[in-house]
Amino acid sequence: MVNGKEIREGIHDGFPIFLGYFTTALAFGLLTRTSGFLFVEGVLTSMITFAGSGQFLMMNLYNAGSFLASIIVSVFFINSRYIFMASSLSQRLADPSSIAGRLMCGFGTVDEVFTVASFKGRKLSYSYMAGLIFTSYVGWVSGTAIGYLGGTFLPAVVQKAAVITVYAMFASLLGSETRRGIKAFLVASVSALLNSLLILVLGLSTGLSFLISMIIATVFGALLYTDEEAGLE
Amino acid sequence: MNKIILIVSCAFVTLLPRIVPYFASSALSRLPRFLRKCMVLLPVAALGALIFPLALTDFGSMWYAGLAGVAVAFAVSLFRGPMILSIILALLSTAGMLLAFPA
Repeated sequence: MVNGKEIREGIHDGFPIFLGYFTTALAFGLLTRTSGFLFVEGVLTSMITFAGSGQFLMMNLYNAGSFLASIIVSVFFINSRYIFMASSLSQRLADPSSIAGRLMCGFGTVDEVFTVASFKGRKLSYSYMAGLIFTSYVGWVSGTAIGYLGGTFLPAVVQKAAVITVYAMFASLLGSETRRGIKAFLVASVSALLNSLLILVLGLSTGLSFLISMIIATVFGALLYTDEEAGLE
Repeated sequence: MNKIILIVSCAFVTLLPRIVPYFASSALSRLPRFLRKCMVLLPVAALGALIFPLALTDFGSMWYAGLAGVAVAFAVSLFRGPMILSIILALLSTAGMLLAFPA
């Protein structure tokens, strides 16, 4: 059932993601050109993969001359966090039965869509998810195409500052959650500190470090929150 | 290396872990209570690690520009500011720091 109001709300909520993705994808598009990809190949990568960190990792390993199999394994590992994110988000769908709807949500479960949708605070309709995913996707694919053709045409300081967009979005969501209860801040602090420690001190890869930090903080949260606070019936 | 094979196989291993859980959602809803609670709390646990340390390291030696943006966005929403205001003020703070304190 298509609901125009829900689609518009999804597009509205997706706008910050669009901004962040578009500017990041400009850099990705440029990277594909300098790596010797054709225009179609660069844009195809963004169209069928739709993943920030995984795509940059693929290009870096490709440029380093890695074997195909080792690139695929590395990309899988950096994406393994999505198993948990998709599992969590699947429990928030208003109508879990539609096959097309689930395929769309699976395709669109990127970090930012997952986070925005999760904190919506209600069951998610496919119309809402379609608006949210479509807006993010347009930013990612159009940014790749324009970045390939024009490079990062934005002034250097704008391009550099734009990196903050998605982090600001995450920090804004964390601020709202913290206002509702200090426990949210504690749980997020655990994952932030762990992830910083594992990456900066122990030198773990960002994919593995993220996975470990997220899981430990989740278990900590589940012990800290009561069932009622977590909204379990 | 055939680039099309590279692109398609990387897309496959990206989409697989995202899509499969949606087709196991009824089994997931029957998991023990504690694990279902974990799935509810996963988003907030992810938030911290999504922000740190990459919001700082993405700016290299000018990490303080990232910190300023994140702190401003957090503070704005803590005092009930809308998300778009958080983002605009974060952008201005980060750009301001980059211009005021170049590495």
